[in-house]
Amino acid sequence: MRISRPETLAEAEALIAGGGVPVAGGSGFQLEFSQGAVAPAHYVRIGHLLPMGIYREIDGLCIGAGTPLEEIRQAGLPLLSEACRDVAAPNIRRLATLGGNLAWGKGCLIPALIALDATVETREGEVNILDYLAEPKGIVLYLTLRPLARQTWRKIGLRQAFTASIIASAGAMTLERGKITAVRLAVGGGATPPQRLQTVEDWLIGQTPEAVDRDILRERLEQAISAPDCAFRSARYRKRVAAAALSAGLFGLPERHAIRPVSRPKATIPPELTELSRADGGARWHTRPDMPAKIRGELTYLTDRRSPDMLVGRILRAGRPHARILSIDTAKAEALDGVAAVVTHRDIKGLNGFGILFQDQPALCADKVRYTGDPVAAVAAVDAETAARALALIEVIYEDLPVVTSVEAALAEESPAVHERGNLVTEVIHDKGDLAAGWAEAVHVVEDTYVTPRQMHGFMETEGGWAAPEGEGLVVCVGGQHGARDRMQLSRILALPEDKLRVITSPTGGAFGGKDELTVQPALALLAQKSGRPVRLHLSRAESVEAGIKRNPMWLRMKTGCDARGRIVAQEVEVLSDSGAYASLSPGVLETAMEHVVGPYEVGNFHARGRLAYTNNGIGGAFRGFGANQMTFAIECQIDRLAEKVGLDPIAMRRLNLRRPGSPGVLGQKVAPSERLIEMLDAAGASPLWRGGETGPKEFGPKEFGAEEMRSEEIGPEEIAGVGMALNYQGNGLGTIPEDEADFALALKGGKIEARCGLDEIGQGMVASLHAAISTRLGCGRDDVSAIFGDTKRAPDSGSTTASRGGYVVWRGVEETAPGFTAALLERASELLHRPIEELAIVPGGIGEARLNQPKPVLSFAELGEIAPVQAHYAFPKSDYFKGNARFIFAFGATLARVAVNRITGALRILDLEMHTAAGPVIDMASYLGQMEGGLVQGVGFTLTEDMPMVKGRPVAKNFDTYMMPGVRDVPGTMRVTAHEGLDPGDPFGPRGAGELGIGAVTPAIANAVADAIGRWPVVTPFPPEMILDLMEAAR
Amino acid sequence: MIRFTLNGQPAEIAPDAMLLATLRENIGATGTKAGCEIGRCGACTVLCDGAPMNACLLMGWQIEGSEITTIEGIGTLAAGAVLIRAMEIENGFQCGYCAPGVMMSLTGLLSRDPAPSDAGLEEALEGNICRCTGYHSILRGARLARKMLKDETT
Repeated sequence: MRISRPETLAEAEALIAGGGVPVAGGSGFQLEFSQGAVAPAHYVRIGHLLPMGIYREIDGLCIGAGTPLEEIRQAGLPLLSEACRDVAAPNIRRLATLGGNLAWGKGCLIPALIALDATVETREGEVNILDYLAEPKGIVLYLTLRPLARQTWRKIGLRQAFTASIIASAGAMTLERGKITAVRLAVGGGATPPQRLQTVEDWLIGQTPEAVDRDILRERLEQAISAPDCAFRSARYRKRVAAAALSAGLFGLPERHAIRPVSRPKATIPPELTELSRADGGARWHTRPDMPAKIRGELTYLTDRRSPDMLVGRILRAGRPHARILSIDTAKAEALDGVAAVVTHRDIKGLNGFGILFQDQPALCADKVRYTGDPVAAVAAVDAETAARALALIEVIYEDLPVVTSVEAALAEESPAVHERGNLVTEVIHDKGDLAAGWAEAVHVVEDTYVTPRQMHGFMETEGGWAAPEGEGLVVCVGGQHGARDRMQLSRILALPEDKLRVITSPTGGAFGGKDELTVQPALALLAQKSGRPVRLHLSRAESVEAGIKRNPMWLRMKTGCDARGRIVAQEVEVLSDSGAYASLSPGVLETAMEHVVGPYEVGNFHARGRLAYTNNGIGGAFRGFGANQMTFAIECQIDRLAEKVGLDPIAMRRLNLRRPGSPGVLGQKVAPSERLIEMLDAAGASPLWRGGETGPKEFGPKEFGAEEMRSEEIGPEEIAGVGMALNYQGNGLGTIPEDEADFALALKGGKIEARCGLDEIGQGMVASLHAAISTRLGCGRDDVSAIFGDTKRAPDSGSTTASRGGYVVWRGVEETAPGFTAALLERASELLHRPIEELAIVPGGIGEARLNQPKPVLSFAELGEIAPVQAHYAFPKSDYFKGNARFIFAFGATLARVAVNRITGALRILDLEMHTAAGPVIDMASYLGQMEGGLVQGVGFTLTEDMPMVKGRPVAKNFDTYMMPGVRDVPGTMRVTAHEGLDPGDPFGPRGAGELGIGAVTPAIANAVADAIGRWPVVTPFPPEMILDLMEAAR
Repeated sequence: MIRFTLNGQPAEIAPDAMLLATLRENIGATGTKAGCEIGRCGACTVLCDGAPMNACLLMGWQIEGSEITTIEGIGTLAAGAVLIRAMEIENGFQCGYCAPGVMMSLTGLLSRDPAPSDAGLEEALEGNICRCTGYHSILRGARLARKMLKDETT
């Protein structure tokens, strides 16, 4: 690429005339390239030649085109500063310039500039903004703005801040003697073309604001606005919200009802709850052992590995949703200088298939591709550029096949088959009681179809790592969730014995289920094997978005009936789930959904059928919640809707139907003791949030050292608020059918107590939990522990880091090994000190006097020398039901949400979230709190903003510009998390899993809060704001 | 080649090369993370002459003569050192992959304004996506850093 830095604007113009592309701040190009724009061959820098600064002049405000948007944002200018606040994020606004935003033509500031009647001064002369937009000519030098007395601005995006624009609207108005004498209205931004709404302006002139009929105004605005549909929002929505925003902004908000009085029955008496915060936790709050390195950027992730002889790998993806492969020719790529290896299916010596449940997914496609991200070939080259060039040289000839775009289509008789065995992957049916008799008893019936999104895991570290030859085999280091199983799957593909393979899976930058299945390991291993050199490979975000596993979208039709008192007597459920191109763990996800089919309630009569189908819509699989949170969304909304019909308080309704502790599970299976549903319900009933109503409680939230005050978030005049709650319970472990066992060992080496545990640190705090559990059990300090994990060579197979099983595996491993290990330590100490064992105890730092209160070590761990590993092998506790997969151990929760519904935009804002949890004793407080808070907010994303729409088998979102995970502005103002830690006397199962509980009930809690605010339940997630507006209208 | 300063040391970059790629691929300074490469996640945030910016949006020509501070240099900044202590105490992060970017965004803010409002802290983080924490632990760390900075001066 050529980059010129001309000395003068005239010189710049000459270069631009010669084909150069002018660039000022340069903040927008990477985004454009990611959306398909081709990088220009020649940049002409003009930023240094442009005037900068803000000048107040007689005929208006004059701003230099080179002024960064962040400077304008801070300048307090009418309309424009507010508008700049909504452009990108501060770190980008420091680079972006006003001139650049205008010249780009799609910038969200343009409607503001139109409403400010900007004059654009270019090298060609002065023109009005509208004329400039019609025919952009010349380098922009200055903009002169003419504000009016009253201004309004609103950008509507896909989340609260840092979002692509759906539509932005700007208005300005002046009154003289009570009448409108000047008015400017404009919309634009993103896909909406910039436009001034002249006809409406003409209609307004001469009217008094009080006399303006708002309904007619909105109607006229909607007619005047020209806006497109897109995959995210409709044209109708764009017009509607822009019209409402302009009307409200210039003429005031429509009236809202008075704050509804709170009518809750008497508060329940809460169970014993531990407040989870540093202030409340006191001595229980510890800095996680992995925290210092992470904060300093010193932790080397597997994608950070560099060495001089390391090659760079890349994968060639199908790029088409469904096609037969006719030929793959790699000759040109192999001939390219700097290419060390090209691999295709022809290089696979073993089974060209993988999959945790069944091996339907090719390591590298041979005869067919089934989704756009399917890997066809891979290359290893000396650097990334060469690898990219080599990819482009691989010639694959395809014959496209009809695309299966939905579950319904996939299950239709005439559907093309994604796999030879047919498109139905699995069907799960559960029946209980006499459904007809149940329906005969039903007085109230609620039926609806709940829709859940193709949520992306969005781990910040995309799939990747490195692999290298090691001895006669390979070492493969890729962030994962079960190294031993990855090794088994790789061994099958490579036809290499497992003992020739070492797999390292930790640390990794987030997983959430999305790194449970193999990701890039097959391609990486094949490249390292063929080239004989170390290779690294790290997916770009765009590639991860296209190729990675997602949450299975589900359609849950649920019909629930109760008698006049509110007792649920019948339920029918029909679930469809999109597996995408391969099975991975999708059958398990469906099974888990079906296992939670009546929630934690006693329903005597039900019929439930779930079907999972192959489509060409990417790939689906494991994701935190694993089907339970989807089913909980449906059931917990049904309960509230029936409660409304019966006239019962939601808590009373639940109490009436709650399962009795100790009774069989949904499938008739035996379940573990320490059920805590009643306690969770009581915690919710006593919650200040539940009792605070629309305005919220005065005091709310955990104590904090750094904060001045904690209170519930205030609502604005545009908003109506509501409060909702939902219960959840989450099965732990893999269930009765899969093998679910663990190995664990404690050893003493180099002065540290080594915890050898094959689980992975994926951010959840597994390492912190090891340190905590060992310190608590043995009496040593947390610092005395050293964790060996996520490495098949150094740590034993402890099973998968999934299914909320890690907490139990850690605790049980310590319980099993502690007695033998303690004895070995004390015996050694006794020999060395020549003292009886009874007088000695493990203390922080080593061995101390057993009888002292604050014992100091008389012998350090280092002085004890080495102690051989004390090993344990144990099974995750299982139930007695084997006809299908069923869980034995459950964790429990109650989530409460206070939510504001925006009357103008239909957008939701989560004001406060509260979660009560019962997952047994908390091993490490900070990690546990983090799991709950993170799960809750991931659930907020699921509920409000996250989805991957597919069009003809292709994902619409390519990256984080349109895939909207919650940002800092989308999260609740306050969050409170508690733990009810007690277990039943004699309960032998210890801590329950914490990983998935947080995400479990946040969606229905929000839906129920929305219903509390507007009287209707949204059933499609993420809740479309347009649907919220429609529901509000319907309720009126 | 374009000359710039990287954590106090002279460094070079091609005019059309992305700073992020140069750091991670050529120099091997992998503390700065790659998350989206289009400016939409903030994992690669660095300080450019003290101001937080996305290293994936900075090309060589944009940083000529600039002083770039990455996470590897955070400890040399007074506000950065305090922020490190506060985040450790509050356990700001989980997987930690967003941490380098978040730390640089906050260090940029606290270096300029040691007593930002809660809203100011949040605005500084608008460009940083964290998938694990739900942001509250990060904000608690940031607020504690603000308090520690205040306590230091009084």
